Amino acid sequence: MSGLFDTQLLSVVVFVPAVFALLVLLFPKDEHGLIRVTSLVGMGVGLWVTGLLYARFDAHGPEFQQEVRVRWIDTLGASYHLGVDGLAVSLMLLTAVLGPLVVLASWDSVTHRTKEFHVALLVLQTAMLGALASMDLVLFYVFWEAMLVPMYLLIGVWGSEERQMAATKFFLYTLAGSLLMLVALLALYFIALPAPQRSFDYAAIYNSLLAATREVSLCQGRDPVGQCPGATPLALALLRYGPWMFAAFALAFAIKVPMFPLHTWLPDAHVQAPVAGSMILAGVMLKMGTFGFWRYAIPLFPVAARQLRPALAALAVTGIVYGAMMCLAQRDIKKLIAYSSVSHLGYCMLGMLALTTEGATGSAYQMLNHGVSTGALFLLFGMLYARRHTRLLSDYGGIAKVMPWFAALFLIITFSSIAVPGTNGFVGEFLVLLGTFKGTLPMVFGVLAASGVILGAAYMLWMVQRVFFGELTHRENLHLTDVTGRELATALPFVALVVVMGLSPQPFLERLAVSSEMFVARASFAQDSFHQSDEAVRMSVRPLPALPSPPLPAAPAPLPTADAMAPFKLGRPHPANLAVLPPERLLAAEPPPSRHGEEATP
Amino acid sequence: MTLPDLTAADLQPVLPALVLAAGASVLLLSEVFLTTASRSHLALIALGSSVLAGGVALATAFEPAHAVFQGLAVQDPFSSFVTVVVCLGLAGVVLLSADFLKQRQAERGEYYALMLFAAAGMSLLAMSAELITLFINLEVLSVSTYALTAFLRRGPRPAEAAFKYFILGAFSAALFLYGSALLYGVTGTTRLADMVGPLRTAMHTQPWLATCALALVAAGFAFKVAAVPFHMWAPDVYEGAPTPVTALMSAGVKAAAFAGLVRVFLFLGRADPEVVALALSALAVLTMVGGNLLALPQRNVKRMLAYSSIAHAGYLLLGVAALFPHPGTGVLAATPLMLGSPAVNSADAYKGILFYLLAYTVSSVGAFGVLSVLERHADGDGATAWDLDRFSGLAQRRPGWAVAMAAFMLSLAGIPPTVGFMGKLLVFRAAVDSGLLGLAIIGVLASAAGAYYYLRIVVYMFMRPAPAEGVLPEKYWATELALVASAVAVVALGVLPGRVADWLSQSGMFFGTR
Repeated sequence: MSGLFDTQLLSVVVFVPAVFALLVLLFPKDEHGLIRVTSLVGMGVGLWVTGLLYARFDAHGPEFQQEVRVRWIDTLGASYHLGVDGLAVSLMLLTAVLGPLVVLASWDSVTHRTKEFHVALLVLQTAMLGALASMDLVLFYVFWEAMLVPMYLLIGVWGSEERQMAATKFFLYTLAGSLLMLVALLALYFIALPAPQRSFDYAAIYNSLLAATREVSLCQGRDPVGQCPGATPLALALLRYGPWMFAAFALAFAIKVPMFPLHTWLPDAHVQAPVAGSMILAGVMLKMGTFGFWRYAIPLFPVAARQLRPALAALAVTGIVYGAMMCLAQRDIKKLIAYSSVSHLGYCMLGMLALTTEGATGSAYQMLNHGVSTGALFLLFGMLYARRHTRLLSDYGGIAKVMPWFAALFLIITFSSIAVPGTNGFVGEFLVLLGTFKGTLPMVFGVLAASGVILGAAYMLWMVQRVFFGELTHRENLHLTDVTGRELATALPFVALVVVMGLSPQPFLERLAVSSEMFVARASFAQDSFHQSDEAVRMSVRPLPALPSPPLPAAPAPLPTADAMAPFKLGRPHPANLAVLPPERLLAAEPPPSRHGEEATP
Repeated sequence: MTLPDLTAADLQPVLPALVLAAGASVLLLSEVFLTTASRSHLALIALGSSVLAGGVALATAFEPAHAVFQGLAVQDPFSSFVTVVVCLGLAGVVLLSADFLKQRQAERGEYYALMLFAAAGMSLLAMSAELITLFINLEVLSVSTYALTAFLRRGPRPAEAAFKYFILGAFSAALFLYGSALLYGVTGTTRLADMVGPLRTAMHTQPWLATCALALVAAGFAFKVAAVPFHMWAPDVYEGAPTPVTALMSAGVKAAAFAGLVRVFLFLGRADPEVVALALSALAVLTMVGGNLLALPQRNVKRMLAYSSIAHAGYLLLGVAALFPHPGTGVLAATPLMLGSPAVNSADAYKGILFYLLAYTVSSVGAFGVLSVLERHADGDGATAWDLDRFSGLAQRRPGWAVAMAAFMLSLAGIPPTVGFMGKLLVFRAAVDSGLLGLAIIGVLASAAGAYYYLRIVVYMFMRPAPAEGVLPEKYWATELALVASAVAVVALGVLPGRVADWLSQSGMFFGTR
């Protein structure tokens, strides 16, 4: 067991929830209690191993750690390759922390089809952890798409009235983006490496693009509309298709984030999803978009990313301000929290696009913060909703009088969300704004983003005031009960995280440091103002393990008959080559018209 | 042409087809001597024959490619793998048929015999390298399928479907035959391998005649694979035929027709690769987009699956188009990712086509299987038998079927971790490698649209309440076996395609004459 934990820890972390999902699957469907407890234990074990992973992650060690690499689909050049950098391990910890809390949050609220619900939760957990840990593009894509189905079911089966519309909208939006990403991924696969060494391995592709990226960057620096005469084929391909491939990746991730004009699925999905769905959606799944930009879109295509940076940053800032404005206009509390996500994720994007270490660190920290604070907001509102069954602001008012503990919890989380100093939100937003002002983006971006902070405080406090303070205007609210022990147990970890991450951010930030530096170095690779060598940004990962003993499926067949093949014989008379000759090469080797037919007939 | 002396060794390459035909003969003959009404052994004989034939084909799949029967046919890994896929589909369909026929008191030896004959035709069609042989095998499989379509002949719907299928099938056969005759007139031979040189000359001396001949042959095949705009028959016929027969049509007939298409055009296409490439690309775009768009509004699941089968023919055509070098201009032009002309990597394209055929076979047999178990005999042939509502709340009533159906739908939609995703990945990879970037993007967008109607079934199964009335059909071991096997295959091949993909990597095609 200890050996497994040493060499395969990451696999264990990823697949523990899936194993428990299988276990739950075997239980009879009416054993609700047993199913809930097993899922909770599964998520708990998951948290324990992920905690172990986080503790073992050496903040000053190599960039990618705890790697696992096994041969998988050789004909495609895809391998089962897991590995984590600082950001991935932090987001995995966030995912694992949310896991048991999500199960606890749905303890009472999910009463029908409990078994399917928990199986979906556990499978979703594996898919999310897998997407974060993948170092191979096919593996990443598989996990990425595998996240869709359980989430779709969570929204569609256990959601509220309009759930089917919301679930389908969520699915189709995300699928359309990811399919375009698949094409870009294939194109990347073809241009990055020459035929025999083709691979879907992220590090291999990244490393092979380095020289070409430098060439493209230099050539564009000299002549912005130039055609780069004399460049290598790879550089020319990158020059021509790089922006398109970046756009395809960026579109897929921007839908997930969601960035401003593509955010319309989010309010519907959040409003209709059950508490658990909203918590996971806000807590982890949106981060998959920012993680994708951080890990894939920007480092792979830094030149194209820098070309589109002003536009993306403008969209991020628009998202911040627009999301905040929309919050001010909402009457539905869940929709308000959903739009606040649009606004908060805008900070993550902006910090990343600032291309400064502070900004990147802040962005990464903000991803964690948003997971904690918005996850907690959805959780707390879920408790309120379970009591009153309405989402409208106007149906509440003066709740603090009957639910003082609840009000206190909500207020602490609100402080985190609006970045009051001393809470985790402050650290993240401060770093993002600092990085934005320090970077090369125009000042106006920073100013607008800072105004978003004020708007954020406005809408959150306005909501808190309308819900909790003032007179108890509704008779129905008179007899609301305060939080129960189980609810408190679910909410307190969030409060603890808010305080710990706010007062002592160092252990968290330190693990993000290498990751942030490398991100900025890669994003500004080959830019005029940066003079790092290729080696500084090259990724070093574990090589593909050699085949134990070459298990050739079947020896190449011997040449059938010499004369039959003679007309088509090319340079290398090897049957395998002959059998799969492309038509145009056969064309070249075509004998004088149709003589061979008669010759061959006895 | 003199008849050759056949030895046992000559027959060895067609052994799978012989096994199937022998099984069919046994079924037909035994029917004569049966004295009781018990017919449950029929399915077992059919199943045994198809498994045996598939096994033989798989065992010969790694043998060197060579011509058989003096070049009338060839045996190469490609044809063997197509036979394997056909036998796999056939085995699934036979398992599904057992209970389906029993409920309708229609268990007859000729049903299975026709299926086996059809499969023998499919296997031989994949091997044919001469136009007359090809036509005969095409007819063997078609005539068997016409008869099977009308097998449950009571009621207007099967009769209509069979009649439509027959008329349009005969029409397409005539087109094909006309094209073949013109080709013979132009080149003076019916052997594909001998045709290339004269045809190329004819493209310059008699361009109209040669192009017409190619177009007619292409149209004949386009009918068979139900490519848009030659797809009109498919939805009606698919809907009217007994559901297991529909499964055979969508899995076996399609695979065999594609094998014939690939073989014919690999030879004929060498006369003028650019025209053929352009034609195939155009067909692929129309079929991918048309099939998916037409499937969108369908509430009748059987019709929806028929249109989906058209859409899948489109993805397969994309794989076939990837076999040809494309000219450098126009909308469908190749977009080389790197400098220079895009290299056509036939090995990848073959692998893509074959893996896609395999993926589509297991997924569609499973999907039609679930459809057939939900269809009650009492429903008659009214369209309500296949209405979406039939799937409402299936997850609560028959969770196993619902999960299996969800896997098939996700696989057809191409979502990982299912075999459909791996198939799409391989086909799109081949297409992008040949520079067909534009086509690949269109295909991807079309399949995004397709996800909507596949998901709708999942929505109905998992998110709609079950109707109050409704007796659920009983489980039957053969049906359960077929569904479980296809569901396991869909997921297992999606997660670990390694070994099978390795096998298919070796599939080449034979270009020699004998």
